[in-house]
Amino acid sequence: MRLGVDEVGVTELMGVTEHTRALATAAAGLCLDSLESTRSIVSPIDSGAAEAAVKAVLEEIAAWAETAMGRPGAPILWRVLAGNPHYIEATWRKERALMDDGALLARDKRRTALGVAMAMRGRYMIEYNAAVLRHAGDTDHDLLEVLGVVDHYTTLNTLSEGMQIESDIRPPA
Amino acid sequence: MTTIRMVDPAAATGKTKEIFDAVLRREAVVFGATAVSNIWRCMGHSPSLLEANWNRSRALMQRGRFTPLQRELIATAVSIGNACTY
Repeated sequence: MRLGVDEVGVTELMGVTEHTRALATAAAGLCLDSLESTRSIVSPIDSGAAEAAVKAVLEEIAAWAETAMGRPGAPILWRVLAGNPHYIEATWRKERALMDDGALLARDKRRTALGVAMAMRGRYMIEYNAAVLRHAGDTDHDLLEVLGVVDHYTTLNTLSEGMQIESDIRPPA
Repeated sequence: MTTIRMVDPAAATGKTKEIFDAVLRREAVVFGATAVSNIWRCMGHSPSLLEANWNRSRALMQRGRFTPLQRELIATAVSIGNACTY
């Protein structure tokens, strides 16, 4: 990474990557196959029926979803995680800490998250991140640019792993 | 250890040399490379594969509305997810 990103930016990138992979794994583990899913192996919680602390988090997520995705209500992944107050609280706080503007811009992080979700074929997180980007103004062309990078690097990763190519690219001194 | 010998850019000819030269020009700008990187040298055994992937690299990594940084962020994250150490 030699395009003006320092160690803080690289660490943020790692955070976006592992967080997206973790959420995609959680969604798949719950058998949430779409942002529009109504079925999960664990029942979602409605904020009206939640205990106070969980209700506050779900309402915060719902407000964010309205603004960032143009959708009413908290997405189902969060409503399912709400079954464990500690789980939803820690994961939502992490989401906000990692995905808001930092050394990297929030929109660049979201495009990166979409690429990660595409690469691991995590349909729920593909739709989730695409919805945020669409609402921010990304077009079909933009989503295809993300896909093109994912596609090309899947090619390069496959070749380099298959041939066990040793890296000859070193960090700057 | 790399499982195949890499093509020596100094010994490359024809289409392979032409693409190696273009790769080096590009990589010198992007990350200060002074030699053709190993992944392209490995592809050099198949000029058709080398050319096809170089053309896709130009199409997908050098053209469009995203900045080089925006593309590189996605590329790096995908490579991490694919557990690719290269």
